Amino acid sequence: MKSIRRVQKLITFMLLIFLMALAFLIYKLQSEAGFYISNASKISLGNVYDRNNDVLFDPDADAQIYGSDYFIDIGNLIGDDSRQMNNTLVAQNMGMLANFSFMLGEQEDGKAAIYTTLDHKVNRKVYDAFGTKNGCAVAYNYLTGEIYICLSKPSVNILNNYSDLDTLESGSLLCKVFYPTVPGSTQKISTTLAALESMGYDNLISKSYDCSGVYTNLSGKNIKCHLADGHGTQNITEAFANSCNPFFAQLVEDVSLPLYDIQKTYEKMGYLVNKEGNQKYLDINGISAFTASTTLADKTDFNTQWGCMGQGETLVSPLQLMVWQSAIANQTGISTYPYLISYATTVNGNPVSQAQTSYSNQMFSEISAGHMREIMLENGRNHYSNLLSGTDVGVKSGTAQVENGEKENSLLVGFVDDVNFPIAFCIEIDDRKQGEVTTSDITRVLLQNLHESLISAGE
Amino acid sequence: MYKNKLSYSGAIILLFLTHLSMLGLVFIRGSVVAPLDFLKLTGAVLGLDIIYLLITLAYKQMTYTLDFMLLGILNISLIFQSCFGEISLSIKHLISCVMCLIACEAGFLLTRNHEKIRKNKIYIYLLILLLFISIIFFTDNQKKWITIGSFSIQPSEFIKPCFILVCAASIVELHEKLKIGFFYISKDSLILCIVALFIFALQWWCHDLGSLPTFGMIFLCALFCRFCYPKAKISKRAVAIACVAGVGVLIAAWMLAPDYVQKRLHVDIWADRYGDGYQQCEALIGIAKGGWLGVGAGNGSLYKIFAHDSDIVFATICEEWGLLYASLTVLLILIMLMTVLMNPPKNYYHAMMTAGVTAAFLMQMSLNIFGSCNLIPFTGVTLPFLSTGGSSMMSCGFLVGMLKAGQSPLFQHEVMKRKKQKQQSAKSAQKQRRANS
Repeated sequence: MKSIRRVQKLITFMLLIFLMALAFLIYKLQSEAGFYISNASKISLGNVYDRNNDVLFDPDADAQIYGSDYFIDIGNLIGDDSRQMNNTLVAQNMGMLANFSFMLGEQEDGKAAIYTTLDHKVNRKVYDAFGTKNGCAVAYNYLTGEIYICLSKPSVNILNNYSDLDTLESGSLLCKVFYPTVPGSTQKISTTLAALESMGYDNLISKSYDCSGVYTNLSGKNIKCHLADGHGTQNITEAFANSCNPFFAQLVEDVSLPLYDIQKTYEKMGYLVNKEGNQKYLDINGISAFTASTTLADKTDFNTQWGCMGQGETLVSPLQLMVWQSAIANQTGISTYPYLISYATTVNGNPVSQAQTSYSNQMFSEISAGHMREIMLENGRNHYSNLLSGTDVGVKSGTAQVENGEKENSLLVGFVDDVNFPIAFCIEIDDRKQGEVTTSDITRVLLQNLHESLISAGE
Repeated sequence: MYKNKLSYSGAIILLFLTHLSMLGLVFIRGSVVAPLDFLKLTGAVLGLDIIYLLITLAYKQMTYTLDFMLLGILNISLIFQSCFGEISLSIKHLISCVMCLIACEAGFLLTRNHEKIRKNKIYIYLLILLLFISIIFFTDNQKKWITIGSFSIQPSEFIKPCFILVCAASIVELHEKLKIGFFYISKDSLILCIVALFIFALQWWCHDLGSLPTFGMIFLCALFCRFCYPKAKISKRAVAIACVAGVGVLIAAWMLAPDYVQKRLHVDIWADRYGDGYQQCEALIGIAKGGWLGVGAGNGSLYKIFAHDSDIVFATICEEWGLLYASLTVLLILIMLMTVLMNPPKNYYHAMMTAGVTAAFLMQMSLNIFGSCNLIPFTGVTLPFLSTGGSSMMSCGFLVGMLKAGQSPLFQHEVMKRKKQKQQSAKSAQKQRRANS
């Protein structure tokens, strides 16, 4: 009988294992149902709204209701349910948007919706401010992380149902804010931070290097300055404002700034250095955003110095450039992570997924952040005082050589020094030429309109 | 089984209520287009209930737990299968259900007497050999089916009950051990191992790797029972050796698995949604659409997917009837297997048999349910009782018959006979006492 009892124990054991696995399966199925349903070929979806309840996505949208180009500025950011674009808010949050619950099933008249932090009207004004030029713009609240403005031009008009795919400009289906770009001289913010971290402010400010227009580095290569006659002898504040390449080449070569320290600060900031490890990405409510990467081989090497000035192999996403501004503006060395979804509602209309502000790890010290902030504000006061009347704006401009130097992209990153209007931003214009719209022009449109909008909304 | 207090009339009422409530749900929530088709389905379900209950009544068993449960599950299965896509009686599945019930009785009658099985086990080996030959020489290109006219038979399904029987029948001879090298092995165990190896090799050769874990599980149970018997003391060394060997075999199988198996083991279904992951993705989407309560009988869309009524039948049921109903049906099958725990077998042969049957059912259910839901690699095996397929249903019926035999049920005439014997012995003892006094 003992042997029979053992067999019964074996049967009990097998039944228990199966029951536990079944219970796990049921739990998994009901908790992942939203994801499964988001992959269904046809499912009733709710709308996406901006912060003022303007519609950003409507599954039943047509040109007669909204106007022919109503969604053009957010086409490649919000996207749609056609699966033509994958890295968009709708594509990544179909489960949240589905009018479906595991208890009730699919509800045609459900109340599922996503409420974003975007300001569509201002977004559109900024989009229009680009005129004939292409580029991208992003702005967010560096205290809370709410993204107010996010656009990329050229964009796609989702109301055309992709009938114009053949004639769309290259890059229309991607929001460039989330993808790598050559940062140009905006990279000098990272290099200055690395120098502040390694050398300390007093030591750094005491350093001065001469610029005669061209600097021949220790490996014999020439680093040219954008000012042919040179800037003369400068300290870090002046060189930062002048965006002087020879100064930064000499700073990188300086013995008191080890390459290891630059690498360490870069890595803390999220760079993938020398392709060691995996590329990091920021997650913006499911949207994957590139962070940064660069190559640091040798202090005297031209490519390394060139990379520290934001050219060559250095790549950063405009979003990441903006996010770093929060760590500087807050004087904490800690970034505020951005988000797009304020909250969502379920099929029953109950609010869920309320956004919460989250932060990065300490990237650089508070002291370095404070000094960097002052350097940027000084630059803003001296050269960009007309961006937002009555308020200081800390900025850094950049010109990025792309396509083997045949084209030059123009960039401007910065932050507003106002606790009531804590905005960090990054503007990029593709292939900008003399006399065309500038990043300052677009920034002005962005800041002034956003300021008015937020004030009128009582925020 | 006779210990259960489940009354005949109570069970009948429960059975009818279950089926009537399901038919009511079909009528209320389902897509009944042609009322005549619905009436046919109702007639078939209730007809099968009544006829089988009358037959079992004539049997005069003392209890009917397993019979009732099997009938209950089969008619639930008939309702499910008749509602996929549209509501129309599935004659094919009705025939399969009837064959399953017949196979159950056959299984019970053929396997209840362990002495007979032990004496005639040579015929079971011969039957296995016959099935081997039929698979090797008479099956189609996929080495699975034998087609005779409009009928198709899957011989490998019938190897399962035969294998369990030889596992059980050979256990009694375990004490007759031979010394081979350093090991003491009984002749029957050696033969069993050889048979098991041949079965595994055949499954490998046929590319029917879905059935391989089921046979493996049965064999593991047989091994476990041999460790327990006859000393009633588990040899830790033997268990350790068996575990190491098992892990070794699993690793080797994993490494040596052919390309098409490797593909299945490593497929990311969502990345390959319209390729190898198609059925599972659609199954999971269907389950999500169904939610807890389902979209209603006949209102689903999974019926358009290949093998919706066999390999991914759990998902198809979930979509139309809901995860709650599908889980309860699976639970009903589990309760049927649990009856072994309430009515323990009387001897070790029956104990081994019930363990083998339970292992076979559980493994097959796991492969089907967890495979179609992407918890484990998708193998494409049938879900016992709920999937279509005559061979599978007959095999399952026979296995339930074995389960019933393993619970040593008594018939009314046997109980009466025992009562008489008891009374007679009591009387003679009384007479003896009087004579002595």
